[in-house]
Amino acid sequence: MSIDTGHPLSVLPHPETDEEIRRRARLRKTRNFFSSLFSHTAINFVGLFFLLPFLWMLITAFKSGQDVFHTPPRWLPYDNVRVEINGEQLALYNVQTENGIRQLAAVKIIEGVGTFLDPANPGQTFEYEIQQGAVKVAEPVMHVSFRWQNFPDAMNRGSRPTVGASFWIYFRNSLIIAFFSIIGTLLSNAPVAYAFARIKFPGRDLLFIIVLATMMLPFQVTMIPIYLFFNNFLGWGDTFLPLIIPTFFANAYDVFLLRQFFRTIPEEMCDAARVDGASEWQIFTRIVLPLSVPVLATVTVFTFLWAWNDFTGPLLFLTSPRNFTMSLGLQDFQSQRTMVWNQLMAASVVFTIPIIIAFFFAQKTFIQGIKLTGSKE
Amino acid sequence: MSESKLVWPPKLPKWGYRERVNFKTGMFFLLPWTIGFLVFTLYPMAASLLYSFSIYHPRRALEWIGLQNYADLFKDDLFWHSLSNTVYIVGIGVPLTLLASFLCAVLLNLKVRGQSIYRVIYFLPSIVPTVASTILWLWILNPQAGILNSMLESIGIDGPNWMSNPVWSKPGLILLGMWSMGGTIVIYLSGLQDVPTSLLEAAEIDGANWWQRLWHITIPMVSPITLFNLITGAIAAFQYFTQAYVFSGFQGLGYPLNSTLFYSVYPYQNGFLYLKMGYASAMAWILFVIILSCTLLLLKVSARFTYYAG
Repeated sequence: MSIDTGHPLSVLPHPETDEEIRRRARLRKTRNFFSSLFSHTAINFVGLFFLLPFLWMLITAFKSGQDVFHTPPRWLPYDNVRVEINGEQLALYNVQTENGIRQLAAVKIIEGVGTFLDPANPGQTFEYEIQQGAVKVAEPVMHVSFRWQNFPDAMNRGSRPTVGASFWIYFRNSLIIAFFSIIGTLLSNAPVAYAFARIKFPGRDLLFIIVLATMMLPFQVTMIPIYLFFNNFLGWGDTFLPLIIPTFFANAYDVFLLRQFFRTIPEEMCDAARVDGASEWQIFTRIVLPLSVPVLATVTVFTFLWAWNDFTGPLLFLTSPRNFTMSLGLQDFQSQRTMVWNQLMAASVVFTIPIIIAFFFAQKTFIQGIKLTGSKE
Repeated sequence: MSESKLVWPPKLPKWGYRERVNFKTGMFFLLPWTIGFLVFTLYPMAASLLYSFSIYHPRRALEWIGLQNYADLFKDDLFWHSLSNTVYIVGIGVPLTLLASFLCAVLLNLKVRGQSIYRVIYFLPSIVPTVASTILWLWILNPQAGILNSMLESIGIDGPNWMSNPVWSKPGLILLGMWSMGGTIVIYLSGLQDVPTSLLEAAEIDGANWWQRLWHITIPMVSPITLFNLITGAIAAFQYFTQAYVFSGFQGLGYPLNSTLFYSVYPYQNGFLYLKMGYASAMAWILFVIILSCTLLLLKVSARFTYYAG
């Protein structure tokens, strides 16, 4: 309540009774409680949307082949219980026998007929059909178990059975391409950005507009001539060169990012060096570059991310599996008729881990880079 | 204004010593970009423009056919189909993703305990390599053993056959896009943090509730960011390729029933699978024109709807 004295801005406080003050505080408290409850619920619920697919990827990577297609899907990885009999690991089954259900270990299963033996009495073997009509006679005994073996299994195989290369080779190829892309990007973009930031030469602004305009050009336009240039003219098809060499010739995004940073370095420092007779190259290498370590780190991280993620480039240029990158190998593995989901997920986890590690080491760099360039995609 | 006559070679404005030296130094520093621009941008643009007016097979001589490729494209049902698929993503997927990422940014801007952990969780999916995240979502959307349909079933909804149903394949891809929208959320979040607290506090004192503050202050204040995200989102959507390529798997590009044959997939198919490189180049040039005009249109329209502080 307040008393209006007529003037719009003069509002006199009305002395509240203790009761009124208490009631208002209570009201505020309940309101705060409910709004906090609401925000916590919302942020957690949406958080599940981002978190659960991650978990599902990890869980599937640890599942056994028998558990992958279990319906309904289970949130923990299950595997066959195994018992050791005569030095061999045998899978345990629940078998419907003449004397009711017994737990037997499977020696072998050939064309639907299983040879079992009793773990308590390993001398004798029994034969049962696994399935009679719709009735399952023998069902594996499952327990929660993380199958770490999926990771070496996935990495030691190729993307298809006939392929000699393994996912380790794909991983190595991705690393090689990313490494040289980072070197090329750092070497080529920094001087260009320095010229745009600090050297006053005629025509600079026009050239810079051209640099920015190339961002608008879709890759589809230049894709075919670039492909023919590398593949047919230079004969570099099925090598890493078409993926690495272009990074040595600067690109609009990194030039822009570096230029923005270089412009924040005080001009007076460069001018002082100029008065002292330093050349532009000396100013660039001795003054500007040492002050630009944070932005060079951003460029490094984003180039790694881009090279590691790139799919179109490898798809165009790399044809033989021993040259595949992780992106290409994983896609090739996935495009087979029989999909081995647990191994696919294991390989995906291995593919993602370097980026997650990079993120936790350079979290600030990541976020800063995104804010500066917008999204790089 | 000085009188200008057409003379060749053009008379350069008189440069002083300083300017000449700076120009030489500048050109030296620009060398990597200049070479790259000539070899990887200017030459390919000219070449693909030429191809787009020709029948071109890499092993045969170029045959000039004028506008025939463009005329054929306008009569090609698959061309229109791929365009409509892309318009679906640009018209529905991009705005939906934008709205969702704005709401996520609003949530992440709330003062809750563990705020930084939530921010990491919302952001991380966006750095998962595209091929890996697409395969992961194919697995999540799997009709038999997929986790999404099983969760839908537990609340009584009969989930669709996401990947093999042409009606649901694109919504499935939009879902994947939303999972990896962390970059957009970060940009929105930094925009929200730039909204002056003085404005929000003043409104609160004047009795505006949370919704009114959001609608009348926050949303107009972040409108330049919305515009930026809209343009970059639309440009990215026109070039949507990797997800669609991985999504179709062994079934062939465009599976199911060409519902994922997006505009940028079709030139790849024509150029590299059918080796109709002239036809593919024509499509690429139309794409360029579409992207250019979209950007210019958005920039023009935006002047009326966005608010730039200061």
